Amino acid sequence: MIELQHIDFEYEEKKPILKDISLQLGANGANVIGFIGPNGTGKSTLFLNLVGMLKPTGGKILVDGQPIKYNKKGLNKLRQKIGIVFQNSDQQIFYSIVKDDVAFALHNLDIPEDEITKRVDRVLEELDISHLKEKPIQYLSGGQKKRVAIAGILVLQSEWLLLDEPTAGLDPDGKKRMVDLIKHLIANGQKIILSSHDMDFMYDVCDYFYILKQGQIVKSGEKEAVFLDEQLLLDSKLDQPWLVKLHQELHLPLYPNKEALFADRGLAQQLMLAQLDTNSEVG
Amino acid sequence: MLSIDKYAYSNRFVGWSPNMKGLLWLLGMVVAFQPFQPLKGVAIIFVAAATMYATHMSFKKYMIWFYAILPFLLLSIIGIIFTMGNTKAGIYYPVPLFGHYFGISIAMLPKGLRLGLQVLTAVVCTYWFALTTPFQQIIKLLKAVHLPKLMIEETMLMYRFIFIFIDAFEQIYRAQKLRLGYRNFRLAMRSSAILAKMLFEQVFVNYEQMVHALDAKLYDGEFK
Repeated sequence: MIELQHIDFEYEEKKPILKDISLQLGANGANVIGFIGPNGTGKSTLFLNLVGMLKPTGGKILVDGQPIKYNKKGLNKLRQKIGIVFQNSDQQIFYSIVKDDVAFALHNLDIPEDEITKRVDRVLEELDISHLKEKPIQYLSGGQKKRVAIAGILVLQSEWLLLDEPTAGLDPDGKKRMVDLIKHLIANGQKIILSSHDMDFMYDVCDYFYILKQGQIVKSGEKEAVFLDEQLLLDSKLDQPWLVKLHQELHLPLYPNKEALFADRGLAQQLMLAQLDTNSEVG
Repeated sequence: MLSIDKYAYSNRFVGWSPNMKGLLWLLGMVVAFQPFQPLKGVAIIFVAAATMYATHMSFKKYMIWFYAILPFLLLSIIGIIFTMGNTKAGIYYPVPLFGHYFGISIAMLPKGLRLGLQVLTAVVCTYWFALTTPFQQIIKLLKAVHLPKLMIEETMLMYRFIFIFIDAFEQIYRAQKLRLGYRNFRLAMRSSAILAKMLFEQVFVNYEQMVHALDAKLYDGEFK
């Protein structure tokens, strides 16, 4: 469990980026936690604090009950427990061949070569990119690079995986694959923390949410608690997911994802009957 | 990414051992600096052909690689072989100039040409090595010859930054050009100054992001 106690953070004095953030990640059985907020609201800064790359200017962070130790050994341990994938894949890929880059973190841990090969193969398999293993990075698409960047952290087998804006810049297919990938990882027991302002994406994959506005948590909770309050979302420069809009505007049931909506045979039948009615009226 | 990388990863010799390629390069250097001139000519033709064969590159494309170095090479040779003297003696085709004679020095001409041949041989061999050896293999080679870790790391980071730097340069330049920043000399000067300033700033920002990414992958100051 990761616990934040009254975290403040500022790059410059008197210009706080994060203000008094207290929360517990992984306390309520939620395995996919989403931080939602508009641009420049401190999501990435919060993530950098979580992995010890930035040190809070106030408050403290406890991981499994122990405060983070900001020495080399402590940080090394922390980063094996919490892996982070940044938004810009290009800047996280250091080697020119996929398998070399994915193995990078394991080499840094001095893991034996045959174990590295095994782990790399397994992760590439899991992310469905085994066919890219020997490929030079420059031939990959944006979505593929994103997967390679994620693979490079997944090999660490960390308990938590932080993904900063994982869908930014992806095309619809890339985004769909990202959703599938995250669901696949969750099914394998990976705990994930996401940040994004892609409301539909977050609604689809996360099971617990924090809404950030100007460095503060203004709301947290599960789907129903967070997304039904339209005014709050608009005030936070966000929007409701379309499934929630359907629920509120057209009084359809609140579906957890679009698969559930399209699988609702009862609704399809009702709509068909309504269509027949209109047709007979017109006729 | 740079085209040098593309060739290095997709050439016919990519599977060769880096040590072998390193040794061949060293052999090329020995040929370039040994005194028997015809051997250098043979080496240039042979190695250039091997490079084009390995990288599937046309002669025209291959020549483009020399654009960057030919001006330097020509300037150096011109600087060496042209001379000015008080008498016509020792000068091919002397041209009288301000009471002196200007022309090609008889003594320096062979020296200049020899130097040109030497440099060209060395460059052709180095291109062969650079275009057939991926960076990963170069690092292995540097390690195999036991160069200091610090130097290897620095080489690696410099190589990483080339991409970031060139990319940033192109983006800024394009944005400036689109807004007519290079319309005349005065504006071009101003725009290049801004470009330099922005590059400097961006390199800092990028560097910070890179350090974060390296930290996330538990990098401890040594590429393994």
